[in-house]
Amino acid sequence: MNTEAIKDLLYKMADDQLILGHRNSEWTGMGPLLEEDISFSSMAQDKVGQSYVLYKMLHELGEQEPDTVAFTRNADQFHNCQMVELPNGEYDFSLIRHFFYDNAELLRFQALTSSTYEPLAKAVVKFRGEVRYHVLHANTFIKQLGSSTDEAIAKLQASIDILFPYALGMFEKSKFENELIAEGIFTGEESLIEPWIEAIQKIIDQTSLQLPDYKTIKPINGGRYGTHTKDLQPLVEEMSAVFRVDPTADW
Amino acid sequence: MSLPSLDPRVTRLHIPDWTNPMEAIKPMDQFQTFQAFVQHRENKPIEYVGVVHAPNEEMAFLFAKEQYTRRGNTCFALWVVETSNVMVSPYTEKGSSLYEMIDNEAIENLEEGENPFEIFHLFKRGKQHFYAGRVMANSPDEAIVQAKKLYGNDGKPVLNIWVIQTGHILFSDEDDKEIWNTLSEKVYREAIDYKGADKIKKYKEENQAK
Repeated sequence: MNTEAIKDLLYKMADDQLILGHRNSEWTGMGPLLEEDISFSSMAQDKVGQSYVLYKMLHELGEQEPDTVAFTRNADQFHNCQMVELPNGEYDFSLIRHFFYDNAELLRFQALTSSTYEPLAKAVVKFRGEVRYHVLHANTFIKQLGSSTDEAIAKLQASIDILFPYALGMFEKSKFENELIAEGIFTGEESLIEPWIEAIQKIIDQTSLQLPDYKTIKPINGGRYGTHTKDLQPLVEEMSAVFRVDPTADW
Repeated sequence: MSLPSLDPRVTRLHIPDWTNPMEAIKPMDQFQTFQAFVQHRENKPIEYVGVVHAPNEEMAFLFAKEQYTRRGNTCFALWVVETSNVMVSPYTEKGSSLYEMIDNEAIENLEEGENPFEIFHLFKRGKQHFYAGRVMANSPDEAIVQAKKLYGNDGKPVLNIWVIQTGHILFSDEDDKEIWNTLSEKVYREAIDYKGADKIKKYKEENQAK
């Protein structure tokens, strides 16, 4: 098996989960209502938990300990797509990001259940129940708010328009794309795009929102190769603040 | 004077000082409530767990899932119902069973009705209702009579009954069960996973020794 290709795949997934998990956890205590605060925080925990499983897999392949990998790299060493690092703004922005991301993640995990890299195939089966809830949560919210008041619809639409090019950046190809496909490790980024559009379009069609035609939109790429917005480095610093004070801290 | 927050998420918002006078809370500024029921163990009945606020039952389901099933080792089912659809019987006095108030003649004369209803029993004041089973009836009152016939001889006195028309409940289905697959691994959500007391004790011991 091509270990470098597998590592690249694991890193981008783990970094996506960690960074989005951290961003979403920033809503803890500030959610729009108590019940939603708890739900969104729980899902953020799930994401960080999934990143931990993936970092452990990387450790098995010779990378450093999960905490070291998560807390001691600089922004340009992260492989997450740029969408997940963007600062939160208002709730509509986080909801649209959640909707775009989790629908893609469900498809990615489904594709990986038949991966020839067995540890990953097993892990994604385990994650499936969690992601099923995340997608149900995202889709129910978009259906509810996307057909509610003019203000809600306008805000969500503005977030769709901002985030859509970033969302396409989730599918930026790896430099190992051909090897991953040839060895049956992953069906490839391109295999996810059409099913993703179909999945989110099905929900958008039940609202007053509009999805741009993805063929006319230029994806914002670069994240998979370490090119990030100015917002990632401050996030990484805040996330690792305790670790940098005391790497052995435990609670 | 306001104190600066220690939370970086708050400080970077640069919230201005409070200037508007406070206003009284508006009536009904919350969503309506829904009642949630959970089956914690496979061989145990579904039981009442509590309330969530939500604009509709799908949203109530989402919230109840995290509110009431984010901890504990296992979960097998989640039901939600709008509060106004829960019909409540009178409460009995001195531990007598509600079913004693229904005479057996009523049972003999009653035929099955058209609509399914779900029956929940309360065995102890201050505790939760437990699911007993389904009956076919034409009204909540009839449903209680049917329930005596089917579930009234189980021994423990029933102090109060909730009757909910089946169609008013949003049920989790068989496929939904996988959303709780990893629940037993989320020990970090349990207070018991944080050994705070142990650490404080150790710290005190170390510092007393000095």
